[in-house]
Amino acid sequence: MTPNGAIVFTLVVVVAAMMSRMSGLVVLYLLCALFAVIEVGPNAAAALRRAAILMVPLAAFMVLVWVGVVGRAPADIAASQPGSRAGALVYVSIVCARLFLIVAIVQIAAMRFASITPLQFIKLLRAPMALKRLGVLTLSLIETLLQAVDRAHTALIASGVITRRLSARNVFNGWVLVQTVWLTAITSVTGRMRDKWPMEHTLGLLDPLLAETRKDPLRTPDKIWISCAAVAVAGIVWGDFYGLP
Amino acid sequence: MGSREFIAGPNFSGRSRAVHARAQRFGVPTYFIGPYAEAALSGLSSTIEDEIAIYRAKDRAADRPQFGAIVTDPHRKPQTLSGGEQVLLALHCFSLSAYRALAIDTALEQLDTANRGDALRYLDANSSFDVVLTDNRARPPNWTCTQLTASGTRFICNWEGVRGKIRPQHAPTIAIQQLSFGYRPGQDVFSNAAVALERGRAHRLFGPNGSGKTTLLKILVGALVPRSAQITLDGVAYEPWRSGNRALALATQNPDQQWCGATLREDLARRRAALANRGEADALADGRVADLARDLGVPSLDQHLYELPLAARKRISWLWPFAGAHPWIMLDEPTVGQDDDTCRELARTLDALCSAGYGVVFVTHDDAFASAVPHRVLHVENRQIS
Amino acid sequence: MLTTPRLIAIALCAALNFAVGSIVYLIKLPLYLDSIGTILCALLIFPDRRAAFVCSFLAAMISTVITTLFINPFLIWFSATELALALVAAYFIADAEAIFRARPLPVLRFGLRVVLYGILTGVVSAVVSAPVVAYVFGGVTGSGSAFLVAFFLKAGQHLMAAVLHSGFTAEPIDKTLQVLFAALLFRATPKDFIDMVRARPQPAPT
Repeated sequence: MTPNGAIVFTLVVVVAAMMSRMSGLVVLYLLCALFAVIEVGPNAAAALRRAAILMVPLAAFMVLVWVGVVGRAPADIAASQPGSRAGALVYVSIVCARLFLIVAIVQIAAMRFASITPLQFIKLLRAPMALKRLGVLTLSLIETLLQAVDRAHTALIASGVITRRLSARNVFNGWVLVQTVWLTAITSVTGRMRDKWPMEHTLGLLDPLLAETRKDPLRTPDKIWISCAAVAVAGIVWGDFYGLP
Repeated sequence: MGSREFIAGPNFSGRSRAVHARAQRFGVPTYFIGPYAEAALSGLSSTIEDEIAIYRAKDRAADRPQFGAIVTDPHRKPQTLSGGEQVLLALHCFSLSAYRALAIDTALEQLDTANRGDALRYLDANSSFDVVLTDNRARPPNWTCTQLTASGTRFICNWEGVRGKIRPQHAPTIAIQQLSFGYRPGQDVFSNAAVALERGRAHRLFGPNGSGKTTLLKILVGALVPRSAQITLDGVAYEPWRSGNRALALATQNPDQQWCGATLREDLARRRAALANRGEADALADGRVADLARDLGVPSLDQHLYELPLAARKRISWLWPFAGAHPWIMLDEPTVGQDDDTCRELARTLDALCSAGYGVVFVTHDDAFASAVPHRVLHVENRQIS
Repeated sequence: MLTTPRLIAIALCAALNFAVGSIVYLIKLPLYLDSIGTILCALLIFPDRRAAFVCSFLAAMISTVITTLFINPFLIWFSATELALALVAAYFIADAEAIFRARPLPVLRFGLRVVLYGILTGVVSAVVSAPVVAYVFGGVTGSGSAFLVAFFLKAGQHLMAAVLHSGFTAEPIDKTLQVLFAALLFRATPKDFIDMVRARPQPAPT
């Protein structure tokens, strides 16, 4: 499977999830489970775990707000009906089921390509070269900034400007850490643009590595999965037409 | 035979410009390893594997791989490597590349003695490429040498003035017992380690990359919380991760990562405010600190720190430790990018600080500099400090 | 339009959007601050407004995609908000670049501009985000503003109205902070970097 196919498949599933009711969500869950087993294998468990870690706090928050505080579903509010906490819980369950599906398919699709390097991933994307260069640059600079954050955080704690824990000082001086990290990164890239890149013609080395050589951006597995997702969408629309729950 | 040229001279004599000019005269794209943070990296990769892929020659016959030992984990992010490791990775990438010319601007100083020797032997042994090198520590024999002299008076340090402004200090002895720490469960960096840092002495932290030198610094300034530790200052319990750092003034390896402001005035104001917040006596009067900054080569407190040359930024990063804000001074690789005269004066100044009652801890690969500072070696390895 | 220095500026600002999340986590502040780079990019590239908008939006979208993949899978839903933010940054906030960089700092004018643009950005952000918050997230996105939504819902407001009112309350505060951070970073950025980014692409020799 290619990243292009994974992206299209994921987008179709996400759009389908937004349109679907419970029956549609069941179909989509089955499709995504099949995708996880066939394309990702045992690593899918890690992706699902990550999705759960991201989703559980949000779900708990939703239950607290809708069931605990509001006590009725939005449809009941719109219809000026008294509603019930049970109705609110049903509403939250459907929203959470939809969101978890979306989160899970994104994580599973990303896990599919965990074994290839960022450069290899971006190479396989069908995108304008400028966008590919931007992706490569950004991923590299993210690592630069994160390293700078770690080092600057230590130095600023040492100087007493910020503290390790939440404090009023961090509220007022936290932006100094942002500034230090920003200026450190600027110094690094300015030096590169002035010295290393012109001398080496480094950017010229990148373009051949990023150029995608295949004419067809999608391979057979991509087309199969995208077709399955399209069939699921058709099924959801048909189910809506016939009033399935 | 590929040309070999060495550019010698003190700081601010135009060596970097000369390296550029020589590289342009090669007439071919030149692989460059520079002096500043991440200057050895392409800036286009987020894994070691990708960094190698960028530079690897399409014609594999051009492979003459060297320094491959650095590639233990191809998925590791090159930005997480130490400065010396990044230089080794750069040399490895160069050896795999199709480049026929190499320019190195003081980057070899980040290597330890053994790796620096290997790098110079590699450069000497290969005739298939041209090299222009400038370095403060190494001077390869039999290379064409161009000697530059310092021009102008900008950024010149007045070391007698620096030493004359050292305030007497009574640094507490730092005793560390039962130190245990790990970033991840089951992977301890320290396990029941113990050490005593004595006032009035310099201590060199020595150990391989990843042994815990930086981790120890982070614990002592309160940025990390150990799993267990008993740290005392003259017998009084000290937990900087709770109470904040009261004892150590830190100068980082990359000076840019320690600034608290865009200008020197902003930086000092925030540091003084932090001291005042803890109710600590603020004897660091603006006038005295401004004089010290001038002695370290920066005449104006309104100087934009990031617009200074790297060597000048490194020197002004010693301002806060030398000002006497804290009784202990920590310097991480202080001699990188500094010429021999500066290293000699820095060594004398650290000795003077010890005589004045400060405690000093430094990390360095520069054995010549270390030998000029009477010091005690602390070996950091195998989860212990000895 | 996309010279190498501008590509660098876009990538830097996108990386900043991503990295600020880790900073606020380290210093334990209950804030998001995930659009500082978007606003900063527009300031850097101004006065070419079209380029400022395009580059600012690219920075926003790249950081959104990467953050969605690795940190917060819900962020991609707010792409329209990022577009609106880039527009406001390029066509309004960037006008104040001379004030942001003036030395000495004109405190009153600086502060007024930050508050004004923060409110403008916050209102725009609330309006554009409201449909997403209401219909994708059911009114609750996991931030503290969910309690404001609950308050308005309890008072009998419909979901969309409750989300809008909650947004009008919380977003201007958040966006004012982000405009402030972006202005301070822009102020501190060395002039030669800004000159490099603003240099217009040279036409090819004929």
